[in-house]
Amino acid sequence: MNSKRWITALAAGILCTTGLSGLAWAFQEAPMLAEQVQAGSLPPVDERLPTKPAVVTAIEVGQYGGTWRRAFNGPGDRWGPTKLMEERVLKWTADANGGAVLTPGYIESYSVNENSTEFTFTLLEGLKWSDGQPVTTEDVAFWYNDIFLNRKIVPTLEPTFAPGGVPLELEVVDERTFTVKFAQPYVYFLQILAKDSTGEPSLDRPSFLFPKHYLSQFNNNYASEDELTAAAKKFNVAAWTDLWGSKGAATAWWSNPDLPVITAWKIETPPPADTVVMVRNPYYYAVDQEGNQLPYIDRIEHRLFQDPETLNLMVAQGQLDMQDRHLSLANYTFYKENEARGGYHTVNWKDTNIWSLVPNMTVKDETLAALFADAKVREAFSVAVDRELIIELTQSGLAQPVQAAPVSGSQYYNEELASHWTEYDPDLANQLLDEAGLDKRDDAGFRLRPDGKRFSLVVETSDAAHAKTLELLTENYAEVGIEMLPRVIDRTQWDNNRANNDFQMHWIPFDRMTYVPADPRRLMGWDSFGNEYFKWYSTDGAEGIEPPADDPIREIWALWDKASQSASVEEADVSVNEMARIFGEQGWVIGVYGEGPVVNIVSNAMHNVQPDLVQDDIFRGVGLARTQQFWLEQN
Amino acid sequence: MVAFIGRRALLAIPTLIFISFISFVIIQLPPGDYVTSYAAQLRQQGDYVSAAQEAIMRQNMGLNDPILVQYWRWISNIVFRGDFGHSLEWNAPVGSLIWDRLALTLAISSLSLVFTWIIAIPVGVYSATRQYSILDHLFTVFGFLGKGVPDFLLALILMWIGFIYLQIDVGGLFSPQYQNAPWSWDKLVNLLSHLWIPLVVLATGGAAGLIRVMRANMLDELGKPYVETAYAQGLSERQVVWNYPVRVALNPFISTVGWSLPALFSGDVITAVVLNLPTTGPLLLQALKMQDMYLAGSFILILSVFTVIGTLVSDILLAWFDPRIRYA
Repeated sequence: MNSKRWITALAAGILCTTGLSGLAWAFQEAPMLAEQVQAGSLPPVDERLPTKPAVVTAIEVGQYGGTWRRAFNGPGDRWGPTKLMEERVLKWTADANGGAVLTPGYIESYSVNENSTEFTFTLLEGLKWSDGQPVTTEDVAFWYNDIFLNRKIVPTLEPTFAPGGVPLELEVVDERTFTVKFAQPYVYFLQILAKDSTGEPSLDRPSFLFPKHYLSQFNNNYASEDELTAAAKKFNVAAWTDLWGSKGAATAWWSNPDLPVITAWKIETPPPADTVVMVRNPYYYAVDQEGNQLPYIDRIEHRLFQDPETLNLMVAQGQLDMQDRHLSLANYTFYKENEARGGYHTVNWKDTNIWSLVPNMTVKDETLAALFADAKVREAFSVAVDRELIIELTQSGLAQPVQAAPVSGSQYYNEELASHWTEYDPDLANQLLDEAGLDKRDDAGFRLRPDGKRFSLVVETSDAAHAKTLELLTENYAEVGIEMLPRVIDRTQWDNNRANNDFQMHWIPFDRMTYVPADPRRLMGWDSFGNEYFKWYSTDGAEGIEPPADDPIREIWALWDKASQSASVEEADVSVNEMARIFGEQGWVIGVYGEGPVVNIVSNAMHNVQPDLVQDDIFRGVGLARTQQFWLEQN
Repeated sequence: MVAFIGRRALLAIPTLIFISFISFVIIQLPPGDYVTSYAAQLRQQGDYVSAAQEAIMRQNMGLNDPILVQYWRWISNIVFRGDFGHSLEWNAPVGSLIWDRLALTLAISSLSLVFTWIIAIPVGVYSATRQYSILDHLFTVFGFLGKGVPDFLLALILMWIGFIYLQIDVGGLFSPQYQNAPWSWDKLVNLLSHLWIPLVVLATGGAAGLIRVMRANMLDELGKPYVETAYAQGLSERQVVWNYPVRVALNPFISTVGWSLPALFSGDVITAVVLNLPTTGPLLLQALKMQDMYLAGSFILILSVFTVIGTLVSDILLAWFDPRIRYA
């Protein structure tokens, strides 16, 4: 893999501004909008755009028009549409080399004070909602007072936005400027904003903004009880609070076409339609380097499919213009073979999921828990795996053997950690297991645990697509005398087992290993090797299981507490690196393969899709590629 | 006859009540509830849901109430207001989801039923009257093949043939450009160009079984004295066969016609999933997988009601068709 760093620029405590010099712009717009202006149903483009619009430098200046065809597999798949058009005050975007840069979105400037406790943002002058109403700090105050602090709508404070238990404070400076304050230094706040927006309700909303002029009719601080009941009835939900939340019928852009948005496209035909359609927002605030209002593409259609094979057919028949979701590496050859027929090509991005075996450190079976706690056993688990073989047979040979650790290209990457215990060595595994006191075997050749039972491990996955991998792992483990029992179970059951501490080992995609501090919970045990420990930590001991006093996981938690309060990124990064080191050396999670390509099917008419980008939740998936500047060749 | 119908109809009422309760209980059976699967989905995609939020969601959705309370809330809305509740996953009223898709489902299913009969009855009759002829053997082979090959596999094969050799776009009932378009002549033609695959798939599977049933029944009847008598009266073979033994052999078709009502509604779920049909079947499957309880429950309830009504219809038809039934 290349050694290039993914994060090429970091926002520090400096003043950054968007918009270029005071050049006199002559803005151009899409023909479909020009028609509406001519007909008098839309104001001219100069009046719709901010005085100094944000500039999204297109890879290649494009043509207007066209429909971007995609596929989705139901309402559970809303992140497909969502990640195409998330807006943030600061957002990860790709630079020319494929690195991730934190770029200002709908703000003119931002600044951070010296000890990272105060963050000031100034909105673009003349920024407008998709219905033409101005976006002002009144909308920000509405978000803060009537939503963020409104316990009826957001029932619990999210720790991310209340470090140390104190919620962030908002100070409105003027019509366009506001300051966010914390009780303690918070150096990673901007990075967290770029991933999580401002938290509930849901991370597909722009940070800090809600359209007050529209939404106050659904808010208990403005509307009467009767009005709220009527609104709930109109949207067919049980209580008015259901209008909010993650999929709030009134406040979710993707189910309510009336909701004003600032995104490049807005919903036209919401689900449950079989084809979900989005259409351009005439008030979108960004232009390309030549002053063309973005986006280039008129419409986006998401067609519903049910079976993965149907999706493969859509690909081969050239019915998709650009898509990566639900495509599998196992079908790589099929995608390549049908390129000419379907009129598309593949553009590879970099996957950051590390597929891993995760032993449950708090497993109820105490003998097993004691074995998992033994570093020798964990090392044996890891070196017993023939990673090259698995990659060859299940990933078309395209992935890399890696350990669960920050991935290459991340600034937290450490080659030693990434290759820790990854060398295939069954002899060593046998020796380690013997040393761990597992030297007795039964008639079938499997090792016996200290309590005399056979050493078997039930490994659960929720996706039948991975059955083959688990089969290979079973063979590997049998070689060293461990009986592996793979189980493909329903996703809900799988999640329940984790939530109830009722599993021995899971097979999961271990992710968020690019910019670790944007979501460090993976390293801290969350939804993984120490889920019960993490519960204990995050609830201050009210729930979960307390780890032993000398358990290294406590060091990791202490390090994060320290990092999140450090006064500078440099200082905080020292702690984060240390967290990654402890995590890696402990080998709690057994990484098997990762860093393979993510296949994008891109129609030959589609331009400006950059290759080699990093696909991670932290960078918001396809959002990193700046979808506003994609364009379709028009005949 | 009227008393018979009345008795049957009355019996159906407690059955329906019982069934509605069972449907509600069934959807509660799997571990976890909708909030569990929804939270899991959010987590997988990077959203953050705390245990406290999950608890509040349960509270709001009334998932903590005793099951009888939840059942009453559900069934009374259906019975008194025709409101099937809210699909949690689709964030839309269940009614709007189901009825929209029902028209297409009914169209496909009834067309395939008609096709099935058009194929099965003449072939079954021919096979029986020309037992052990070459064509009979041929039909037998095809019958067993049709019965043995799973529908979804046949669907995949036909899609592949359509894709590789016929150069048509397969999957779904419309090409993308017609999907959201208003009805027009072109759209109808487009529909027909897609419709043949599901029809062939559904009809072959069903017909294969019915051919065997028809053939066996006919063979039973053909040797009976009344057939001999009919021949002795000097009637032609066509008159004899079609007027007498065929009518008797059709008896099992009529007694099972009611069962095709629920089948019309559910379609062939797996085939519909594979073919990406916008029918009700895939929706039901997804609802069950996601524990979208009101949607899944409504489906199960409607299917059960159709079964009860279908059985009633069958009983009545049979009673009318075969007087012996009325007095049994």
